[in-house]
Amino acid sequence: MSNDRVIPWQPTVIAGPKQALMVTPETAELMIRKSKRPLFVLGPLVKEEPLLSLAVGIAEKWDLPVVTTGNAYKAFNEKGLDSTAYGAVEIVNLLKDPEWKGVNGEGQHDLVIFLGCIYYLASQGLSSLKHFAPHLKTLTICKFFHSNADASFPNMKDEEWLKYLAKMAGQ
Amino acid sequence: MVIYVAPKPKEMKDDFWKSKDIKISIGEIEENEGAKSVEEIPSGPTPKPSITDLRSWDMKLLDRYEPFYAPFCDMCCLCTFGKCDLNGKKGACGIDAAAQQARTVLLASCIGSACHSGHSRHLVDHLIHEFGADHPIDMGMNIDIEAPIMMTVLGKTPKNLGDLKEALDYLEEQMIHLLSACHTGQEGKSIDFESKALHAGLMDNLGMEIGDIAQIAALNLPKGDEDAPLVELGVGTIQTEKPVILCIGHNVLPGAGIMDYMDETGQEEDLEVCGICCAAIDISRYNNRAKVVGPMSKQLKFVRSGVADVIVVDEQCVRTDVLEEAQAKNTAVLATTDKICLGLPDLTDEDADKVVSKLVNKEIEGALILDPEKLGEIAVKTANILSPERANMKMLPDLDEIQKLAAECTECGWCQRVCPNSQPMMEAVTGAATGDFTGFENLYLTDVCYTCGRCEQECERELPLMSMLAKVGERLSKEEKFTIRAGRGPAQDVEIRKVGAPLVLGDIPGVIAFVGCSNYPEGGKEVAEMAKEFLERNYIVLTTGCGAMSIGEYKDEEGKTLYEQYSGDFDARGLVNMGSCVSNSHVVGATIKVANIFAKKPLEGNFEEIADYILNRVGACGVAWGAYSQKAAAIATGVNRWGIPVVLGPHGSKYRRLYLGRADKKESWKIKDLRTGEVLEGEPAPEHLLYAAETREEALPMIAKLCIRPTDTAKGRQIKLNNYLDLYKRYFGRLAPDVHLFIRNEKDIPITYKKDVQKVLEEVGWEPRKIAQEPSLMGMDGD
Ligand code: SF4
Ligand code: SF4
Ligand code: SF4
Repeated sequence: MSNDRVIPWQPTVIAGPKQALMVTPETAELMIRKSKRPLFVLGPLVKEEPLLSLAVGIAEKWDLPVVTTGNAYKAFNEKGLDSTAYGAVEIVNLLKDPEWKGVNGEGQHDLVIFLGCIYYLASQGLSSLKHFAPHLKTLTICKFFHSNADASFPNMKDEEWLKYLAKMAGQ
Repeated sequence: MVIYVAPKPKEMKDDFWKSKDIKISIGEIEENEGAKSVEEIPSGPTPKPSITDLRSWDMKLLDRYEPFYAPFCDMCCLCTFGKCDLNGKKGACGIDAAAQQARTVLLASCIGSACHSGHSRHLVDHLIHEFGADHPIDMGMNIDIEAPIMMTVLGKTPKNLGDLKEALDYLEEQMIHLLSACHTGQEGKSIDFESKALHAGLMDNLGMEIGDIAQIAALNLPKGDEDAPLVELGVGTIQTEKPVILCIGHNVLPGAGIMDYMDETGQEEDLEVCGICCAAIDISRYNNRAKVVGPMSKQLKFVRSGVADVIVVDEQCVRTDVLEEAQAKNTAVLATTDKICLGLPDLTDEDADKVVSKLVNKEIEGALILDPEKLGEIAVKTANILSPERANMKMLPDLDEIQKLAAECTECGWCQRVCPNSQPMMEAVTGAATGDFTGFENLYLTDVCYTCGRCEQECERELPLMSMLAKVGERLSKEEKFTIRAGRGPAQDVEIRKVGAPLVLGDIPGVIAFVGCSNYPEGGKEVAEMAKEFLERNYIVLTTGCGAMSIGEYKDEEGKTLYEQYSGDFDARGLVNMGSCVSNSHVVGATIKVANIFAKKPLEGNFEEIADYILNRVGACGVAWGAYSQKAAAIATGVNRWGIPVVLGPHGSKYRRLYLGRADKKESWKIKDLRTGEVLEGEPAPEHLLYAAETREEALPMIAKLCIRPTDTAKGRQIKLNNYLDLYKRYFGRLAPDVHLFIRNEKDIPITYKKDVQKVLEEVGWEPRKIAQEPSLMGMDGD
């Protein structure tokens, strides 16, 4: 299929006419650079190597505050990355509240970058933010196209994806 | 044969009714089918509540646990003004996305609730026809509160089957109003849709109770028997050389008809009767010779295995293509209820032998038989004839053929993409092409693949992936021999009396109910492991339905199932299989009984006070790790209205709505102490009302946390916190960062974590808080 890269990874999560913008690492970096208060949300699917190190690399390179979901906290903590643990639905719930002050108490975030949450759960969370959090943008850098995000990496094979992530980690 | 479970000698030393503070005024004395019965005048404020009568309670809940919406779809396509795109816009009728989500939840709850009450209506009408309206509702000597939900909601206790009709009439009226609110241009606010969904959930819980007590009373199912027999579970327990009848669905009546016919004709040893989904549980409550194949995740692979000579479907959770699937295996199909007719001719009034002849001669594709007794005869006779003819159908293509088929795979990867859990079906297939079947085996074991069949539908080579799975699993299935304790029905009043105090004070850290279906992200083993964890930690573990079966499919190192290791007592370390879906009512019922028996709260028409009591004082938590259906949505919504939190698996996020608390918003946890009238700083206990966890490791500490209640004594709080902190530490590698929220004063600090907790308390500037003696959400602002 020619447009296979931008059909949502699980095709039936298509929710309506609005689709995410497919982005490359360069555009993703631009989004982070432009953001005032970004947040990096890391899920349980990236708690093993080599993804663990790549995720840590990205967090460090861009100096991103990190939230870990599911039980991802432990692996990242052991790797020396400080994060705040929330359930995926808890962090999304906080993000959609314009009054919430963010993980560092510095104000609500304006960009949330997701990596490694379970696909369909992430899709539901992104849908929630798409509808109810107009104050922020969402970016997903999984190897799956997420149509409910504002911007998403395309569907990719591991090899290409690892290159994308390495690029973002400045490696 | 009907198993008769002899009640234990009455253990109630004192006169139960005298010991309660309930004032019963004698009202009208009614003529009732010739018998005189005493009707109690409802004492509480809301007997037979209308949609709006409990709205103020709902608003209290929703204020604290705000609905969290995750739209599954941006659009609405319910009327011809649409489709409307609700992403940042209102629909043509004016509805916004939040209200539309809540509307969808109401609709789902109505569907689920209607399923249970429709099922119950069937049962009650049939059982009245068979046993008479004056057949008593007697739940045995140890249960005086036969119908706690009905008592609380309707304000009266049913004495006989006829009384159940009144309850059904009431709930059917409510359901009509609720469903009508989903029409275009009715309700406009999400919060009011939610209140209605909560009402639909309550009606669901009521409908389940009506159904289960009707069948327990009339069919003599176990009556709260902690020693209910162990029943065989698993594909490997089925003797495939005998004629096999498979029942799928939820209604006990057709299965009971089959067992009765076999008994009456002396064929009880000659055939195998087995079930999938709740029908299995209820038939085995009726007759413990019936075997339980397993949860609904077995459906397609078991049907494809061809083992069944006859498939009998009743209602709910039956694959809608069952006829097509069965025909491919020359299996006869009998539909038995008005809910599922499958386009089959209604031959209820035809002579049984004629129907059998038409079925075995393939003159008809199957038959609709609405009379359970006749169904029993037809099913048995048909299975007896078909079984020898079908011997070769019970064999699947051999492994060589699987390998050949697998070699056709183009490695397009779409099977994996459409799999709800992204399971590695493609790897299983490419492995099989080289003669390595471990990929398929891993998918087969503990239903990691729950045979939804989506991959097969997608496959561009049209590979029969489910048949391939069934074949590879055939060898493994022989080892699938387990046990499950037959559903015992409700908790006994004497048991509640024993555990009431330790539960409310926290010495027993909680009641955890594993319920729901097979929509598990990683197979059924996860549920069994979670149940085991809490059993070892002294919780009371309840279970029902497919969850109960998944728990039974797990064996420890010694080869014992959890049912063999733990007693069926409603007590700490008890593993209590309450029964089928409709038995979920007894989970709620048990918490209601705590309020009544332990705290002497009158039930009649007193919903709000009872729910307020449960929310604030009974450390109960539901876990629906694999919730999938609208019924599960309705059950959870009802359970939530009673003040019981529920944790869902990750697929639960697709229900579109959760109820999440905000621990960071102090003001939402204020609580009134009814003893002093003071409004006090509270704590997030329970923190959420409906939560979806991403992983089992996340769920475990959350479940333990959601059992914390403001009334815990210091000792009880220490026990509960210890469990929470242990589990958090195991899976997160650190002290739970929110521990300070649950320390009211220094006595609450668990000894094993003393130093660490004290350090946190210092860091956050913690100060001791007053403890509410009678915490309540009632009497606060707005009341
Ligand atoms: S019900 Fe309302 S939102 Fe739905 S299609 Fe009709 S007008 Fe549009
Ligand atoms: S049948 Fe099994 S492997 Fe196939 S899509 Fe469904 S769950 Fe996934
Ligand atoms: S969908 Fe079919 S052809 Fe494609 S990878 Fe899966 S099994 Fe192979």
